[in-house]
Amino acid sequence: MGIGQDEPRDENLMAQIATGDEMAFRQLIERHQDRVYGTVAKMLGGTGPDVEELAQEIFLRVWRAAPRYQVKAKFTTWLMTITRNLVFTFFESKKNRRNELAVQALAGEEDFGTAREASLSRTAADELSGKELAEAVEKACAELPHGQRMVVHLRQYEGMEFEEIAKAMGMSLTAVKALMFRARENLREKLSGYFRASN
Amino acid sequence: MNKRNDQGDEGLGRELEGLLASVPPPKAPAWFAAKTLAKLRAEKAERRGGWLRIPQWKWLAAGLGMVVLVFGVMRWNHPTDGISDAEVFAALNSLVQEDEDRRWWAGL
Repeated sequence: MGIGQDEPRDENLMAQIATGDEMAFRQLIERHQDRVYGTVAKMLGGTGPDVEELAQEIFLRVWRAAPRYQVKAKFTTWLMTITRNLVFTFFESKKNRRNELAVQALAGEEDFGTAREASLSRTAADELSGKELAEAVEKACAELPHGQRMVVHLRQYEGMEFEEIAKAMGMSLTAVKALMFRARENLREKLSGYFRASN
Repeated sequence: MNKRNDQGDEGLGRELEGLLASVPPPKAPAWFAAKTLAKLRAEKAERRGGWLRIPQWKWLAAGLGMVVLVFGVMRWNHPTDGISDAEVFAALNSLVQEDEDRRWWAGL
């Protein structure tokens, strides 16, 4: 997702977008679509129409906010702030629905606890298929509370610094680090069987 | 918070990072940008149409006119001498500024 020397910076594109330049908007979308789409998908626990719609809405908000955009932080931090706000609003609106996308997409035939126990009882000689491992990791991530999931994603997949994550999440640095710590403990616990099996 | 966290062990650890790296986030579909732009154009067209085919800015102007009128009538009927206009406008300005900042950070 690097920017070439001849390509305009995000801030310049935003200035063009503020004047109603759709080509600049297209360029900005193409530059950041994987980042936004991937983040929404990871937060919701899979791909689907909701993911696409939310990701599109994020970019539409960027368009609407362009005339008032000021360079106060890195563009990607601002973009992730919008992403976080929309995703969390989405979760809030679905709070009372038990079939939240994250659960929908990841609810397999068996409960995760059962799967974990099965993995623990597996002998070291058993082979873990890539698919099985991926599913377990996805499931473990999807079971993290929203804040922890977001912090893990921004750190692990977007390579953001803790300071940037704190800005994007609207939290203190300490709070973000605490979330990361709890996420790590949760993931370790949920995936302990796989550590053992892969050793 | 326990000792390990306080000592700056902040990442996920090599093992977990390795596991998570095996499941990268999905990429946006090829048509994503085109669909987003189409949605934007549809939204623009809808906004241009406005309510009862009257452009939205005219409704806004009419609404603003009504507010000014009502405010003026109320002031005329109930003149206040406690706070000066300058104080009121200063307070309003700071409220607007604060709201703008908040909306900017919320990406609105």
